[in-house]
Amino acid sequence: MNAMLEPVERYRRLIDAVAPSLPGDDAGWLTSQRARATEHFVRQGFPTRKDEAWRYTSLERVLEQVWAPNAEPGLQPATADIAAFHLAKDAVARLVFINGRCLPGLSSLSGLPAGVQLGSLHSALEQQPERLAPWLGQAAQAGVSSFTALNTALIDDGAWVHIAVGTKLAGPVELLYLTTGPGTVAAHPRNLVVLEDGAEATVVEHYASLDDTACFTNSLTEVLLGAGAQLEHARLQDESAAARHISNVFVQQGHSSHYRAVGVSVGGLWSRSEYHNRMQQTQASCEIDGLYIAGDAQLTDVHLDIGHAVPACTSRERFKGILLGRGRAVFDGRIRVEVDAQKTDAQLANDNLMLSRDAEVDTKPQLEIFADDVKCSHGTTVGQLEPEQLFYLRSRGIGADDARRMLCLGFATEVLQACSVDGFRARVETRLQQRLAAGAVMGNSGE
Amino acid sequence: MLTVKDLRVSVDEQPILNGLNLEVGEGEVHAIMGPNGSGKSSFAHVLAGREGYTVTGGEVRFDDQDLLDLSVEERARKGLFLALQYPVELPGVSNLVFLRESLNAIRAARGEPALDAATFMKVVRDKAGQVNMSPELLKRSVNAGFSGGEKKRNEILQLALLEPRLAILDETDSGLDIDALRVVADGVNVLRSPQRAFILVTHYQRLLDYVEPDYVHVLSGGRIVRSGDKSLALELERRGYGWIAGEAAA
Ligand SMILES: Nc1ncnc2c1ncn2[C@@H]1O[C@H](COP(=O)(O)OP(=O)(O)OP(=O)(O)O)[C@@H](O)[C@H]1O
Ligand SMILES: [Mg+2]
Repeated sequence: MNAMLEPVERYRRLIDAVAPSLPGDDAGWLTSQRARATEHFVRQGFPTRKDEAWRYTSLERVLEQVWAPNAEPGLQPATADIAAFHLAKDAVARLVFINGRCLPGLSSLSGLPAGVQLGSLHSALEQQPERLAPWLGQAAQAGVSSFTALNTALIDDGAWVHIAVGTKLAGPVELLYLTTGPGTVAAHPRNLVVLEDGAEATVVEHYASLDDTACFTNSLTEVLLGAGAQLEHARLQDESAAARHISNVFVQQGHSSHYRAVGVSVGGLWSRSEYHNRMQQTQASCEIDGLYIAGDAQLTDVHLDIGHAVPACTSRERFKGILLGRGRAVFDGRIRVEVDAQKTDAQLANDNLMLSRDAEVDTKPQLEIFADDVKCSHGTTVGQLEPEQLFYLRSRGIGADDARRMLCLGFATEVLQACSVDGFRARVETRLQQRLAAGAVMGNSGE
Repeated sequence: MLTVKDLRVSVDEQPILNGLNLEVGEGEVHAIMGPNGSGKSSFAHVLAGREGYTVTGGEVRFDDQDLLDLSVEERARKGLFLALQYPVELPGVSNLVFLRESLNAIRAARGEPALDAATFMKVVRDKAGQVNMSPELLKRSVNAGFSGGEKKRNEILQLALLEPRLAILDETDSGLDIDALRVVADGVNVLRSPQRAFILVTHYQRLLDYVEPDYVHVLSGGRIVRSGDKSLALELERRGYGWIAGEAAA
C-alpha cells in the first residue's frame, strides 16, 4: 500500500498545478465536481492487486512514471497524416485530438443538421458551461474508481456530442485520439454523448499513436440516452506497443433506449476497458460485443458492469479474445439484476482462442441476481482452433497457415459483424491479419 | 490411379483397417458398401490425410506418388477430394470466401491463375445453380446452421468447382430427399470422364440407380471382403451383409 501513496501525492500535485488552467472554473458546479473527485481520488488512492477487480494487473509500472497531460506535440501532424486513421468513409463529422487536446484545424464539423451540437468539450466548457451541467458527471458518478475520479478531477477536453429530440444522424461521428512524443505523454480525454428522446447516432472512438512514444491514456466517455434513443458506439484501441490505456464507458439508458457497442482492443502494452451500463427505465436494451487481441508482452483487460435496476430490460454481452505468443487477457463480466428488475433478459458470453501454449487468460463471468422472474445466462470458453475445421479447409487445398488465418478471422467476424461501420471492421480485420502474420505466433500444424 | 495395398490403420492402438486392398483406375466408379463401423469413413479419412490415424502397415499410391507422404493440402492440390459424411461448420467464415480460397489454391497448384472476383462470382453462381443451391447459402458462414441436405449440396458444389481427379463421397447420399439425391448423382455424372475416378461410400442401392458403378466392394472388419459389379449391390439390398460375413469366415 505504501508504495502506492507516492504516486497519489504526485498526481495530487499535478491536479493542483493544472487546476487554474482548466476550462469552466467559474462554474461552481464543475469546480465542486472536480474538487469532490480530487478528494475521492486522494482518499482512495490507486487500486492494488488486493482489489478484486485489479487482481491480475500491477499498476506499478504505469505509476512509477510521470505522465504529462496535454503535452505539446513535437510535430504538428498534417491533415494528410491524419487521413490514414479515418475509419468511417461516410462520417458526418470528425474530431481529432492530439495528446488529449482537440485540434480544430484537423477536425471537420461542417454541414451538421440542425439539432446537433458537436465539438470540443473544452470550448463548450469555456463558452457555456451551464449547458453541460445537467449531464456532465451524471453517468460517471456511481461508485467511482480512482481512474474515473482522476479523469473527473482533470476534466479539460474531449468530445461533446448532443443530439436533440428525434434527430437522426445520417452517418457516423468519428472521434480520433492520437498521442505523440516527445517525452512521456498522458491524455485524459473526457467525452460526453447525449442523445435526447428518439435521437439516433453512431459514434466511433479510435485511439491510436502517431509514433511509439510511451503514452498513458485515461479516457472516460459518458453516454446518456433518452427515451427511445439509439446509439451505436464503436471503439477501437489501436495504440502503439508502448502505450498504456484505460478507458471507462458509463452508459445511462432511458425507457426503450438501445445501446449497441463494439469494443476492440488491439494495441498497447497494457489496456483496460470498462463498460458500466445502467438501464434505469424499463424496456431498455444494450448489446455489447467486444474483441481483444493480445500477443507478446501485452495484457488486455475487460471489465463489464451491467446493471439491471428496473423490469423488462435486455442485455447481451459477447466478448471474444485471440491470444498469441505470451499474450495475457482478463475478462471480468458482471451482470447485476436488482430485486425490482423482473423479466430481465441478460446473456453474457466470453470465448477465447488460444493460439499459443504460452498465452494466458483469466475469465470470470458473474451473475448477481436478486429478482426471481428473469432469464439470465452466461458462458465462457477457452479453446484452440478445432482440428476438424483445419482439416476441412486443408482438404480443399488451402495451406495450413491460410487455414488458421481464415478460422481466426471467422472467430473475430462473429463480433465485428455487429458493427455497421465498414471501415471499422476492415481496419480490425487488417490489424488481425498483420498480427497473425507477424512471427511464429500460430505454432505449427502438428500442434 | 489409386493403389491401396494391405493397408493397416489403427486409432489409439485399436486396429480399424486390417489389410485393405483396392485398385482404382482412371475413369472408374467404385462403390464401397459395408456395415456401420466397418471402417469406410476411416478409410476415406486416411486417404484424405486426416490426423489421428496411425498407419501401421501397407501402402497407398496415388498416380506415381506415395500418398501417405503428402500433407492434407498437397493431396487436395494433386486432385484428391473427400466429400465428408459430416461436413464441418465454420462459423464466421463466409462460404464465398471459403470456395474462392479453395478454388484459387487448387488452380494455383494446376498452374492456373487465380480468378478475379467477377469471374469467380460468375463461376460460383453457375455451379450453385447446377446443384440447386440457393445463392443465399453462398453468403452465409460455411455450413453453419445449414440443414443436413444443404450441407451435402455444399459438398457437391465444392466437387463441381474443384473438379478433382479422384473424388471420394462418404455417404453424401444419406439423409437426402429424392431431389437432392438427383443433384448428387448429376454432380457425379457430369464430372464422370475417362481421366477422373470416384469412390462412392454408400449404404443404399438408390444412389447406384442413378450413378452406375463399375465395381462394388463390401468393406467389413476393416477389409474388403467381397468385390463385384453392380449386381452385388442389388444382392446386398436383398440379403443384407450376414451371408458375406459367413462366407468370408468360411
Ligand atoms: N477417432 C476415432 N477414435 C476411436 N474410434 C474410432 C475413431 N474413428 C473411427 N473409430 C472406430 O473405427 C471403426 C470404424 O469407424 P468408421 O467411422 O470408419 O465406420 P463406417 O464404416 O464409416 O461406419 P458408418 O457406416 O456408421 O458411417 C468404428 O468402430 C469407430 O468407432
Ligand atoms: Mg462412415
